[in-house]
This record gives sequence, C-alpha cells and structure tokens, in this order.
Amino acid sequence: MTKQIDLEAEIQRLLTENDRVAEQGITVQRRDHQVVLGGDVESGRRRDEICRQITEHFPDVEIVCDIGVTRTQAPSEVEEIS
Amino acid sequence: MIRIAAVGDVHVDQDVLGRYRPALEELPDRADALLVAGDLTRHGTVDEAECFATEFGGLGVPVVVVLGNHDHQSDQQDELTKAIEGAGITVLEGSATVLELRGHRLGIAGTKGFGGGFAGACASNFGEREMKDFVATTERYAARLGEVLRSVECDALVALTHYAPVPETLAGEPLEIYPFLGCYQLGQAIDSAPTALALHGHAHHGSERGRTPGGVPVRNVAHPVIKQAYNVYQLLSDSDQVDGELAGVS
Repeated sequence: MTKQIDLEAEIQRLLTENDRVAEQGITVQRRDHQVVLGGDVESGRRRDEICRQITEHFPDVEIVCDIGVTRTQAPSEVEEIS
Repeated sequence: MIRIAAVGDVHVDQDVLGRYRPALEELPDRADALLVAGDLTRHGTVDEAECFATEFGGLGVPVVVVLGNHDHQSDQQDELTKAIEGAGITVLEGSATVLELRGHRLGIAGTKGFGGGFAGACASNFGEREMKDFVATTERYAARLGEVLRSVECDALVALTHYAPVPETLAGEPLEIYPFLGCYQLGQAIDSAPTALALHGHAHHGSERGRTPGGVPVRNVAHPVIKQAYNVYQLLSDSDQVDGELAGVS
C-alpha cells in the first residue's frame, strides 16, 4: 500500500521511467481527494497515456488531468538581441 | 542582420509527425537558420531520430542541433546522431559550425551540457566516487564548450546547450531540482568568449529570459516555455532593420 507521502514521488517516477510515457515535465499536486496533473506534452495521445498509466498503477487515486498539448503555431514576433 | 529561429524539447515520435511542419514550412520567410536545443526525441531511439529528421529536415535553411538527456536514454546517441546528420542536419557536441548568412558569419558552439547546480547550491568534486564522477562530467562538458566558443572566428557567436547556464531561466521549476537542470560552469564557459546569445532547453517549467554573470543574454527555448513552434531572435541588427514583427504575418 502506497503511503500518501510517497504518492507524488511514485507518480513522478512512473511518468519518467515508464517507457510509454517518459515525461519529466508533469507536475503532480495533491488536493483533498484528488491528484491534479499539470504541464504540457507534445500530443493528445501522450496526455491520454499518462492518465491511463496512473489509473492502472494507482486505481484508488482520483486523477484530474490539467495537462495541455503545447501549441505549434509559427511566431508573430522577433526579438532583437542586444 | 541575421535572424535565427530556436526551439528545444520537441520530443518527436510518430505521434508528433506533422505537428510542427506547417510552421516549419514558413520558417525560411522568418529566419535564416534553425537551432534546436536538445531533447529531439522521447527515448533516444534511432526510429525517433528518423522521425525528428523527417519533421525538421529539408527546411531550406540550415538546421543545427545538440542532443539532450532524453536523446541518451537508449544509449544509442551515436547512431541517433548519424540518423539526424543523414538528413543534412548538423549535430554539435563539444564542437562548432560557422554559417554564412546574409554576408555574415554566424558561429554556433554546442554541447548537451550537464547538471551540477548554481552558486550557493552546487555539487562539489568531493567525497564518493559517484559524486566526483558527476562533477567531473559537469566540468568536462563546460570546459569543452568554453574551448570551442573561444576558437570560433565569426561575426556573431551563439552558444547552444540543452542544460541551463544560469538559474534565472529556471524560475518556475522547483528549487530542489535546479542541480539537475543546469550548472554555473556552462555560464562561465559562455562568458569566457564574446558570446552574443546563449540558448538552452530542458527546463519545461522555467522562464524565458536571463543573463549570465558576464551579461550575455540567455534564452530558455524549451517548447513548453515558448509555447509556439519556435522563437525568432535577431542578431547584428542594422539601425534601420529593428522591427518587432515578422514578414508574412497578417
């Protein structure tokens, strides 16, 4: 049984070390009855896989997914470096 | 005037193919070269490297990259490098290239870099063999970057790393992980040469702008930080060419 105090660490390691995820940029924040995931990933498929993996490994944890997919539009401005 | 586009941490795999391409097709109208600050792939496999080459190759402008920690995950960094170079992309590691752009020579010196931390909270070359190996790795990457930066003859010099050379561009990340995100020795290397701009990635929750102790502008171009396909920076501006907007933008 995972102790609550270890939960965030275990989720962070799962997200980094699991071959299907390999994400280091996901934040894990605990609320009263939920774990809130944040950050940005490169595709909707990756976001869905993160939630699936956590649900599979921690079935008693209620997950709220605030993970976004990083936009890839062209820039509209240039910065002059001086 | 030279304009360079830059992004890092694009983590390309099959599921990303095509996402960047529309913006990259417009890149030659907006910049003279593209620099990518590491973490080109998710797990550092050759298949992923080929996906990166497909997405970021054949742009019509030079593309120069360094590898990141993700690109080392499968211990195939040499094969990965060959796959990327096969697409005409220049991969730097303790090395430099000079591009002739608009009549100017743009020098780019690159390394992945390594962690180690910053003043007041950095690892020391002391104690267990593992710790001494860690710090020796930090120092080796940084020393090589300094050597290469000082050796380049060009009109504008850019340092390209994956790990951060200053703590300012890490603001937003947990303080506890700063030593895994960069090291002050990279900043010292950048300051040892007439560097015009330092670009890095790796810190997804960091901040975009900082400066080295010597005053060199530093930009964190990690994709989740810049939140667009790439940023564009202008170097060697002529007095009548300072313009904050890009051509072709409606």
